[in-house]
Amino acid sequence: MKRRNNKLGWLFTSPYLIFTTIFFLLPLFWSFWLALTNWNLISPEIKFVGLENFIVSFKNAKIHQAFFVTYKFLIVFVPLALILSMLVAVLVNRLPKFKGVFLVAFFLPYLSSGVVTSLIVKGILSYNGPISTWLRNSFGWDVDWLGSPTAALIVVSVMIAWKMSGYYGLILVSGLNSINTEIYEAAALDGVNGWQRFWKITVPMLYPSLYTVLILAIGVSFGIFTEVYQLTGGGPNGATNTWQMEIYNQAFVNLKSGYASAIALIAAVVTFLSIGVLRNLIEKWGKHYGWN
Amino acid sequence: MVGTKNKTLKVTLNYIFTIVFLLIMIFPFIYLVLNSFASWDQVDKHLIPTSYSLRSWQWLFSNSVTVAPAPWVQAFLHTFIVSTITVFLMMLFAVMVAYALAKIEFRGKKLVDNFILFQMFFPGIILLIPQFLLITKVGWIDTFQGMILPTAVSLWAIFMYTNFFKAIPDTLIESAKLDGATDMQILFKIVVPMSKSITTVIFLFLYTERWTTLLWDMIVSKSDSTVTLNVLISQMFGPYGTYPGPMYAASVLLTLPLILLFLLFSKNFQEGMQYTLK
Repeated sequence: MKRRNNKLGWLFTSPYLIFTTIFFLLPLFWSFWLALTNWNLISPEIKFVGLENFIVSFKNAKIHQAFFVTYKFLIVFVPLALILSMLVAVLVNRLPKFKGVFLVAFFLPYLSSGVVTSLIVKGILSYNGPISTWLRNSFGWDVDWLGSPTAALIVVSVMIAWKMSGYYGLILVSGLNSINTEIYEAAALDGVNGWQRFWKITVPMLYPSLYTVLILAIGVSFGIFTEVYQLTGGGPNGATNTWQMEIYNQAFVNLKSGYASAIALIAAVVTFLSIGVLRNLIEKWGKHYGWN
Repeated sequence: MVGTKNKTLKVTLNYIFTIVFLLIMIFPFIYLVLNSFASWDQVDKHLIPTSYSLRSWQWLFSNSVTVAPAPWVQAFLHTFIVSTITVFLMMLFAVMVAYALAKIEFRGKKLVDNFILFQMFFPGIILLIPQFLLITKVGWIDTFQGMILPTAVSLWAIFMYTNFFKAIPDTLIESAKLDGATDMQILFKIVVPMSKSITTVIFLFLYTERWTTLLWDMIVSKSDSTVTLNVLISQMFGPYGTYPGPMYAASVLLTLPLILLFLLFSKNFQEGMQYTLK
């Protein structure tokens, strides 16, 4: 029997209520209003421009680009993160001893700052860096890692997939642990091979963990900023210009806070809808396996 | 006999594969540390540098090479202060709110519960610009409170603690009540000590995230008096491009505390994760 006590309840939740009012609700309404103005952060004059910011953004090629870049990251990053974390999980799960030690070690990339990984990647992939020099001397290949649109997108995706692999791997390991080994034994008696076993037993049984990982990874791909800001600045030629990058540039470099607020609202709606649709698809996939 | 031999071989191979893969995965850290100790003409030249010196580290702590001293150590202290205070507030507020949501009935509870979920799935990017304007209006640009307070509540931490507290039996709280304990006492003397493993997990995730925050700190911090190490490395990224050695040393300085903290708590972390992932 829980106790009913309004005063106490409100007292204990007050930090959240105050915080949400000041740092969530107030900014939320403020951003709607800002999006309808042409304010530039400095001038004392604020002109109401109606929906002009939205109309301009819808027509702007840079916005279209940000829209597609996010999906490109999604298509490259999510499978990469899934493969790397699956590799971590399957490898560690097969070990009879020291699972915990290995999981902790594989988790270390998650502790890295995006700024630091960018520094390492920039150094290691620079023109005179170890990898480029080796490729040039051994194969005569000259890869401009951050100067080519496709390569830059892949490099950033790999960096983030690397960072997340141990964390997602941990989630997948706990999923693998919960699969009853008797199923595998029964399958072995029926002469099921390794490939079939993985796709017909492991993947369907692992679905709840896969769901968590997929949702987390999709969320990450809609919020990419640090690595892009640090390494490519959204380039080359806008190839890695994510929503966050575009909003940051418009608001804090070009000082167009009204216009940037409009983009942020569009980005939020796109993100919200995309994640909703993707979630539905993943849940449909789960239903196919019999999960609800 | 042949069977066991094959099995031993298979297990050994599994360990070898895992260790090789692990070495590849943590190679960026190895590269980082080695290059921070490399001679300056060796930095970024080979995967493993061939000659070493302490020059990068000396440079980092003395700042005598450039005209304008780069306050790396000071920035490290800023990162420490901001992260520690923010995460302390996040944890304190989270246990209070979670206790109310899990163990007290009050009007509007359902609304708060649902609104927290809504906020968790809300794209936070909308709030960035108005939050910055708010901080500007109250004169908190380039202050620690400007970096700390707008990030002082973690919805995720509230959510995790609420689920955990729900599993604590009500009878335990009732009997403490009968002994004359107040809710604050129950929370901090009974409930919180019972949540050690999940507290470790929440603390490590929040601390890591706060420690490596870039965007918000970069917007709020405008001078050396508040700049965090992560932001400082980011700012020096271009201009100090010709001094990659010290940049690597600064990066070690940024990353090492998190790794030590994590290894220190790794046992509790594993226990807590098992609960969290159930």
